[in-house]
Amino acid sequence: MHSLTPTAVRLIDFYDDGEHARHFTFRLLNTASQTTEVQGDWMKAKTGQFFMLCLPSVGEAPFTFTQLPDQHGNFRALVRKIGRVTSALFELEAGQILGAKGPYGKGWPMDQVCNKRVLVVGGGCGLAPLVGVVNQLIEQKTYTQLMVVYGARNRQAKMLRPERSDWQRHIPVFNMIENGDTEPGENESGGTPVDILPTVLGQFDESPDVVLLAGPQAMMFAVAKYLVASGVTEQSIYLSIERRMHCGVRTCGHCYLKDKYVCSDGPTFRWDDLKRYIPAGS
Amino acid sequence: MQQYVLHSLQQLQAHLSQSRQLYQVVDNHGDAYWQHQAQPPFPVLSQQRPLSSAKSFFFAEQETLYVFDGQFFRETIPKPEPFVLFGVQSCDLMAIHYQDIFFEQDPYYQARRQQALLVGVDCVHPCQNGFCNLVDAGPGVRDNTADLILHPLDDDRWLLIVVTEPGRAALQGLALTPATGHAQNLRSDNLTQCEHEFDDHSYILEGIEKLNRDQAPDAFWQQLAIQCIACSGCTTLCPTCSCYGTQNQAVLQDAPDKPPSQARQVRFWDSCLYEGFQREASLHHPAEQAGERVKRFWYHKFSDDFLPEFGRYGCVGCGRCEQTCPGVIGVHSVMKRIEKDA
Ligand SMILES: Cc1cc2nc3c(=O)[nH]c(=O)nc-3n(C[C@H](O)[C@H](O)[C@H](O)COP(=O)(O)OP(=O)(O)OC[C@H]3O[C@@H](n4cnc5c(N)ncnc54)[C@H](O)[C@@H]3O)c2cc1C
Ligand code: SF4
Ligand code: SF4
Ligand code: FES
Repeated sequence: MHSLTPTAVRLIDFYDDGEHARHFTFRLLNTASQTTEVQGDWMKAKTGQFFMLCLPSVGEAPFTFTQLPDQHGNFRALVRKIGRVTSALFELEAGQILGAKGPYGKGWPMDQVCNKRVLVVGGGCGLAPLVGVVNQLIEQKTYTQLMVVYGARNRQAKMLRPERSDWQRHIPVFNMIENGDTEPGENESGGTPVDILPTVLGQFDESPDVVLLAGPQAMMFAVAKYLVASGVTEQSIYLSIERRMHCGVRTCGHCYLKDKYVCSDGPTFRWDDLKRYIPAGS
Repeated sequence: MQQYVLHSLQQLQAHLSQSRQLYQVVDNHGDAYWQHQAQPPFPVLSQQRPLSSAKSFFFAEQETLYVFDGQFFRETIPKPEPFVLFGVQSCDLMAIHYQDIFFEQDPYYQARRQQALLVGVDCVHPCQNGFCNLVDAGPGVRDNTADLILHPLDDDRWLLIVVTEPGRAALQGLALTPATGHAQNLRSDNLTQCEHEFDDHSYILEGIEKLNRDQAPDAFWQQLAIQCIACSGCTTLCPTCSCYGTQNQAVLQDAPDKPPSQARQVRFWDSCLYEGFQREASLHHPAEQAGERVKRFWYHKFSDDFLPEFGRYGCVGCGRCEQTCPGVIGVHSVMKRIEKDA
């Protein structure tokens, strides 16, 4: 039986990370108050999965892990302030008790990713679900080739600055600033992720074995289409899809994609599968 | 399956109501509604399909899912008394069966469902707008959807069929006469006769086929959707619709300057026809056009894609959507138009 009741978590700390975005650390508290079955096993959470964060009396919203729960029960997420729940979250101080449900959904197919030529493309806040993958591959040195493309609308919208500059010491990171307002010394170019793809593909010894995409749907679809036109197979492209969510366990109906549910059949999908669920042109 | 002849429905109603709350459909100035029946005399079984299905007995229209006391989150699973739904028609029983599969892992639904005894009743005449015969939901009660089945024989007598173990146990202490083969044959004759009485609804089958071949273009749905005023009548009355929203609320405010010390989450019936149903916080909207939402509703009811999970379509042929839709886009109108225009 699913539990629809959150586990108590404490807000440990946070720091600003780009305009209207903060990186938060939460800690799982004693779950003894749970009356029926627990939710999923937090310690078995996978990168690319998500959790529902609950602000009592305000609301719940889904967020991906940028760091999976460690042995102390600490986990992290990057949150962009956009509506009711996120605005209320930004008002909180460390120490507050909140709720979390999860982990939910299918993560990235790590067995397809390790020891391969990997291209990672993230747009805006959409780089968040990819942070865990990139960190893991770099820490464990489990890649043949790894490159990251990051796209932001403008200078203020850039996120995950510490992560990206850390990665840059190990792998090529291409930062794209859509309005062309690049900063000196930041390895940035003007344009969108699609604009840099010819250069990036040129730097791979062979066509990438796996591509991981997350960000605005229009950006992901444009990148996927370009890659397929350039010879990357549809089966090697994975995307993380966003939908409105209320339950996380395929009963509320909000996150449907044809007969699939993003909360449990996704949020990561393979491009050839996803194309069957989302009508052309959207 | 044991089969008995009942000489008095009152006797069965009284017996079942001793150990459970009894609910039955009652005619009320042209409409029929589910009502709690506390004591004899119990009403006769209504021939009418109730306006609302039995959905809300298990999937509450609104309920609290958990409360927060400042430290801990506590779930609020209901603990209902045992109850019996007496005289559920076969389409609505099939809808319960469908929801049982959908909400298999939902503790709130299941807490209620496990306390329910389902007494089904066969329909011997088609109801208005009903087409249960086309979608394998009626007019006779299916063996896997009820605990007990009633079938009207002649002279106020009823055939009582025991389907499940809880159904058998519920009859203990009741003196019953085993049914003859004649009574059983009468049931199958009556049901066959009833099937013949249905109007020709073959346009529904053709509509389903076209829908599954994706022959209704987006423009068709967009045109149709002009008539949808998003009142949610169809999704509220449809016995298989199950979408819900959630809302977190403050329950208690200690002092005006302090944050609330207690909060709860409620869930409530939602509708995929509402414009905001899928709108995301980023303002991306995957079903922005009303046509996309109407299309998805009918796709959810009739697409072959759902067959592996449920073994049937999501529509049980009750006709309530046709009865209620102010925009005339209930199942008959939509299927006629798909068959004709798409
Ligand atoms: C799997 C997944 C992972 C995610 N991961 C992250 C992440 O790591 N970081 C991150 O920042 N974001 C992430 N998101 C997005 C995040 O969940 C949303 O930004 C979040 O839900 C915002 O919540 P909110 O309450 O602040 O906004 P809301 O107040 O819900 O959003 C405001 C907007 O939502 C719509 N809306 C809300 N309620 C209603 C209503 N009742 N009726 C109609 N419209 C309504 C409106 O368009 C409104 O303008 C993720 C989303 C998914 C699905
Ligand atoms: S779609 Fe209409 S006819 Fe079918 S089950 Fe729902 S309300 Fe009844
Ligand atoms: S009953 Fe008709 S008008 Fe109302 S939401 Fe359903 S389709 Fe739209
Ligand atoms: S979030 Fe409720 S069905 Fe997916």
